[in-house]
Amino acid sequence: MAESVTILVVDDEKGIREGCRRILASEGYGVDVAENGKMALEMVKGKPYDLILVDLMMPVMGGLELMEHVRQIDPGIILVVITGFATVETAVDAMKHGAYDYIPKPFNPDQLMAVIGRGLDKRRLTIETEKLREERDQRLLEVASEKSKLHTIVNSMADGILVINREHQLVLWNPAVLKMLNVRGRVDESGVGMDFQKALKQQDLIDVINKAFSPDSSQYTIISEEVVLAGETPKTLMVNVAGVRDERGENLGVVCTFRDISRLKEVEEIKSQFVRMVAHEIRAPLGAIEGYLNAYLTGVAGTDPQFNPQMLERAKLRARSLMDLVNDLLLFAKLESTKVVRKKELLDITEIIQSTVELFRVQGSTKDVSFSVEIPEKLPLIEADRSEMEQLFTNLVSNAMKYNVKNGKVTVRAMPEPHYLSISVSDTGIGIEEDCLSCIFDEFYRVQGPNTRYTTGTGLGLSIVKRIVESHFGRIEVESKVGKGTVFTVRLPLKQVNDK
Amino acid sequence: MAQKRILIIDDDVDFVDLNKAVLVNNGFEVETAFSAREGMDKVQFEAPDLILLDLMLEKHDTGFSFAKAIKADPRYKTIPILMISAVAGETGYDFTQEQDGYWMKTDDFVAKPVEPEELVKRINALIDRTKQG
Repeated sequence: MAESVTILVVDDEKGIREGCRRILASEGYGVDVAENGKMALEMVKGKPYDLILVDLMMPVMGGLELMEHVRQIDPGIILVVITGFATVETAVDAMKHGAYDYIPKPFNPDQLMAVIGRGLDKRRLTIETEKLREERDQRLLEVASEKSKLHTIVNSMADGILVINREHQLVLWNPAVLKMLNVRGRVDESGVGMDFQKALKQQDLIDVINKAFSPDSSQYTIISEEVVLAGETPKTLMVNVAGVRDERGENLGVVCTFRDISRLKEVEEIKSQFVRMVAHEIRAPLGAIEGYLNAYLTGVAGTDPQFNPQMLERAKLRARSLMDLVNDLLLFAKLESTKVVRKKELLDITEIIQSTVELFRVQGSTKDVSFSVEIPEKLPLIEADRSEMEQLFTNLVSNAMKYNVKNGKVTVRAMPEPHYLSISVSDTGIGIEEDCLSCIFDEFYRVQGPNTRYTTGTGLGLSIVKRIVESHFGRIEVESKVGKGTVFTVRLPLKQVNDK
Repeated sequence: MAQKRILIIDDDVDFVDLNKAVLVNNGFEVETAFSAREGMDKVQFEAPDLILLDLMLEKHDTGFSFAKAIKADPRYKTIPILMISAVAGETGYDFTQEQDGYWMKTDDFVAKPVEPEELVKRINALIDRTKQG
C-alpha cells in the first residue's frame, strides 16, 4: 500500500520540510511539500492526499486555518500537527480543529514514522469503513428494489393471493383476492393482523384453510378445493392452500391462492347437458329398433301380416336416422372445435347451389317435389369454405323437401345486396308455427306435430346451418306461414374488394 | 269382463305404434295421442282405464305437468297413470325432485325401454290396484 500513499508536508522551515521528505520518501511514500498554508491548499485542491503533516505556525496561512479548509475539501484526510510549542494546549486546540495526532518539534525519524504510521492506519480503517458502508447501502438498495418488484408482481396477479400466519392473522394479500372474495369493505391497509375467519366470513372457505392448519395437515402438500361463494352471482373459486413450514417442520402459516373458475364451470355444465341430450337422442331410436325387432321375433305385438314387415321397415328407418345423428354429431363437433382451419376461398355460390339442387332432383322424393333455382348471372364471389357451404345448402334444401307437401315446390334464389350476398331457400310446405320459430335453431329441437311425426331428423340440421353461417360472419333469418311454407334467408358478407 | 281401454301418450310414433300393437295383442283397447293437448282430448272423450304417459312429451311440456293436470281434475283423478321414460336416474333425472308426487302413491313408473311382458304386467297390476282402492 505504501507506493499508493501520498503525503503532503507543510512547513515554513525548509530543514523540516526536506528532512521529512527524505525520511518519508525512503519509506516508499509519495511526498509533496509546501512552505505555507495557501500553497498547500492549492495542492490539496488539485490532488488527493492521504495524510497532511502540517506546522501550526506559518506565514500567509497558518496550520489551523489550512486544516479548516482541508476538512471541507476532504474530511477523510488525516491531519498530523507539527508543533514547536510542545504544550498540551496547542495540541488540544489542534485536535479540536480536526487533527488526528501531533508531533512536537524536535523529532527524530523513528518518532516521525510512528506518528505517520498511526495516522495511515487510521486512514486505512476510515477507507475500509467507508467502503463497507457503501456496500451495505448498495445491498439495502437492492433489497428494497427486490421488495418492490415482488410487491408489484403480487399486486398485478390475476389470481388472488392471501398469506396467513400461524396465529391465523392476515399477513399479505393482493387486490385480486379482495375482489374475488368480496371483502374490500372489510379488509383494507389496516387489515394486517386481522383474524382471517373474521375477515373472510365464508364458512366453506374458512374450512378449507383450516384444514391446512389442522395438526395432521402434514399429510397434505397442497389442499386444492373448489368453493362456491354465495352471493348475487354465485362464484366458483379454485382454492389452493399450501402450508409454510420451517426447517423443523413447524407450521409457520399458509399461502392461499384463488382462481375464479365460474366461467369454466358454466362451460362444463353446458357440455354435460349436451352429453345428456345426446344420450337421450340415441336411446330413443335404439329403444324403438330393439322394440320392433323384439316384437317381430317374439310375436308379442301379434302376427298381423301387414304390420310385421312394416315393423322391420320402421326399425331400418330408425337405424338410418341414428346413423344420420352420429354423422351430424361429428360435424357438429368439428364446427365447435376452435382449432379447425377453415379453408376459405373465393367461391362461386351459383355452382354450389346448382349442384346441391341437382343432387336432390336426381335422388327424387316420395312427394314429387319440384325444384327451381333463380340466380342472376354474374353473382359476386364470396369467401367461404366450400365443404361447409355445401353442407349448409344440403341441410336447407333437404329440409325444404322433407317438410314439403305432395307436388310441392322448392325454390332457391340468390341476390347481391350492399355488402351481402342474400340466398333464400323457400318451400311450399307445412310451415312452422310462430311459437316454435324461436327454437328451431336449438340443438335437438324438432317441431312436433302430426305432419312431422313420420319424418326422421336429428334435430341438428338447422343448428349446424346456423353455426356455419355464423362462422362465416353471416346471418340467417326465417319466415314461415303454417300451411303455406317457409323461407330461410342466409346473408353472407361479400369480399370487400372495392372498399373505399 | 269388458275390454280395458289404455291411452298411450308419447311423441315417438314408433313407441306409440309398437306398444299399441303389443297391448292390442294382449286384449286391450288402445287409444293414442302424440301431445299433451291431444291427450287431454282423448281423456275427455275416451274415458281410458289407464294412461301410459311419456315423461318427456315436448320441450316445455313434460308428462309431469300433464299428470298434475289430470290428478287435479276431480273427474279424472282416479285414472291411474303409468309413467314411462327413457330419462331415468342415470341420465340425471331424479323423480323425487318433483314435489307434487302425491299421485305417485297410487300410480307407477317404468323405465324405457320396457319389455312388453313387463309392461302388460304393470298395466294389469295398476288397473287391479285402482279397482280395489
